[in-house]
Amino acid sequence: MITDFFHPAVGGVENHVYMLSANLIRRGHKVGLVGLYFVIVITHSHQDRAGVRWLVPALKVYYIPFVPIASSATLPQFFTFLPYLRTILIREHIHLIHAHAGLSALGHEGILHSHLLGVRTVFTDHSLFGFDDAASILTNKLMAGTLKNVDAVICVSHTGRENTVLRGELFENYDEVRKSVYVIPNTLVPEQFQPAPPKPASAIITIVVLSRLVYRKGIDLLVATAPRICAAFPNVRFLVGGDGPKLIDLLQMREKHLLQDRIEMLGPVRQADVRSVLIQGSIYMNTSLTESFGIAILEAACAGLYVVSTRVGGVPEILPKDMISFANPDEDDVCRAVGEAIRIVAEGRHDPHRAHARVKTFYDWDHVTARTEAVYDAAMKAPQLDLCERMRRTMQLGPFAGPIYTIILIVDCLFFLLLEWWMPREDMDFVRAHWDHAVFDEVGLWLALNSGYGLTTSLAVPKGRSVMADVLRRM
Amino acid sequence: MSKEWEKVLWRRQDHPDNYIVAGSFLSSLRRNANFRPYTYWKLVLLSCAITQHLATIFIFVSVFVGLKENYLDPHILVWISVGGFSTGYLVWERLDRTTAGHEHRHANRVKAVKSSILIFLALMSLSPVLRTLTAATSSDSIWALSAILFGVNALLADYSAISLGGEVQARLTSVLSMNAAISASVVLASRLTNDLAVFALILFSVQAFALFPRLRHRLGSCLPALQLTFTVILFLASIKVAMPLLRTFIWIYSAVQLGLTFLAPAVLVWAQKFKNEIRGPWDVAVPKVKNYTDGSEQ
Repeated sequence: MITDFFHPAVGGVENHVYMLSANLIRRGHKVGLVGLYFVIVITHSHQDRAGVRWLVPALKVYYIPFVPIASSATLPQFFTFLPYLRTILIREHIHLIHAHAGLSALGHEGILHSHLLGVRTVFTDHSLFGFDDAASILTNKLMAGTLKNVDAVICVSHTGRENTVLRGELFENYDEVRKSVYVIPNTLVPEQFQPAPPKPASAIITIVVLSRLVYRKGIDLLVATAPRICAAFPNVRFLVGGDGPKLIDLLQMREKHLLQDRIEMLGPVRQADVRSVLIQGSIYMNTSLTESFGIAILEAACAGLYVVSTRVGGVPEILPKDMISFANPDEDDVCRAVGEAIRIVAEGRHDPHRAHARVKTFYDWDHVTARTEAVYDAAMKAPQLDLCERMRRTMQLGPFAGPIYTIILIVDCLFFLLLEWWMPREDMDFVRAHWDHAVFDEVGLWLALNSGYGLTTSLAVPKGRSVMADVLRRM
Repeated sequence: MSKEWEKVLWRRQDHPDNYIVAGSFLSSLRRNANFRPYTYWKLVLLSCAITQHLATIFIFVSVFVGLKENYLDPHILVWISVGGFSTGYLVWERLDRTTAGHEHRHANRVKAVKSSILIFLALMSLSPVLRTLTAATSSDSIWALSAILFGVNALLADYSAISLGGEVQARLTSVLSMNAAISASVVLASRLTNDLAVFALILFSVQAFALFPRLRHRLGSCLPALQLTFTVILFLASIKVAMPLLRTFIWIYSAVQLGLTFLAPAVLVWAQKFKNEIRGPWDVAVPKVKNYTDGSEQ
């Protein structure tokens, strides 16, 4: 796993990478082959967190001393990562790298360099991008250059796949989509989002909004519709969690319409507290203007809430139509959809526990891990591209970007040869001893008990992001 | 579970993860959805604003050369400026009558008279300082600097037209553009030899670069015929003013102006056939909110 976005930063990609790694390790456990998968994560350092660290369950993390420039992404530098990566891949006996996130320069570099060592590459794209602004055009070209030679690409939704194929120019013979582009949804641990125990019937209906309060999350729509909904339904209450630049708009709206007793603002909500906020309500409202997958919606649905969402990005794919109401991103339609949801909930047509049970059958990590594993298999079996073929593909990028990327590719090869001469493999310090999983289980259990996380069974079973406590430094 | 493939993630489907149904992939892709082709004459009309602006700059430069070569009497220039201001103000008033209320207009008029007297006096008292401002700098640097500043002015100027009812909204770029032009005229004025000439030139530059663009904004939404006539008059005037002094430049200038007005729109119309705008469900949706109060933020 190579990504710029990893613990201790928090977010969707970070959590996904951690959970996927943990489940791969656990899968090896299950089959009875200890160390079937040995997973390491490579990311950039965070302040004092540098070097090699271990996370429960036996997940080794390399924090490379790179400085992030903006929102935890490093500068695309093309070559600086190679000395680190070569050493790590060789001494850890890596066969396959899996890069995450379209804006992770580390991931892109990983894909560029890994071919030199015969290591296979998989890339997961987590987000959607447009095509019409300068930033998108540049990053899309960067991604297209990287993805020309990748062995497999995973997208988190069908809409995401269409977007990635267009952005990354993943076509074979001009108009045929490459066979190596897969769709594997993101997922969650349903046990972490148990619905609330049945409550005595109450006339009050609570609408929960949990989101970063930024333009892209459609907070303008929330600001416009909340007063109208409050006016139309006197028994409705809002619970808004999150922080961001649009907070001030929400507060102003609340003040202007005198809704202090109807709209409760919680401020930033920690990931561990998400469930406790969700289960206070019965409707979850999402007004995002763009969303690749919408894990927050899934979490809410899993916690037994009925969902109202704007019809954007991959959201229409994630839940069956009877668990979610859609609205177009316009004020009137959002009001209509929320009204519909309030009627459904008020008439008791939505059973939280049934919804939870259904989500449980839709999404789970075992399934996702197995599907990812199949992609790994396919990537390992795919024919290896030789340098000529890679140069030919890179030249297809266009009359301008093509030669630039080809030059980068060639310089990268020369740099690699220099490193082979300068730091010969024979002198390398290979990793032979690994942590024993049993020891990790003990340490993890001890940690879990002492930090109050409710873990009961074997800790080889990762229980989600809250366990992301790193244990000890090796060495 | 053996059903048709569906574009959903929640159902476990029999098909492999890289399965693609022919025809369904990218079915929601729309090309050139909001595309409205430009027409040639519409573009020519829109380019009039640019032509007018370039003509203004050219007139200004000719006036400067005239003053420097003692070909033009500064007194006449001052009177021309005053006359231009009065005419422009009358036109502005005429356009204003349709929109603003009586009280409002009266207050505006008092304000305009007050500030014009203030600017007049301030410029007059400043002109001896401005005359010697760049005495230590060589003329070559001044020519280069003013050329760059006029370039900035022309690039950043606001060429859009507003409807009669709309407020004139000063954008950052148009303010920058005005500042560049005024700075250019200040450095040019410092090459002149007497105070009155400096005063006359700066006064003219305020007319040409601060007040005229605002009027042009308003005129932009007027009748196309009026707009065209005005452009032609301005163009001919610029040639007339430059004729005795900048004879060699007139050819280049005319070629540039004609190219901008007639050739550039044709190129744009031709280039439209290459337009390929892609829209799809991944684009950031635009929220439709009624009575959205502050349009200032994103």
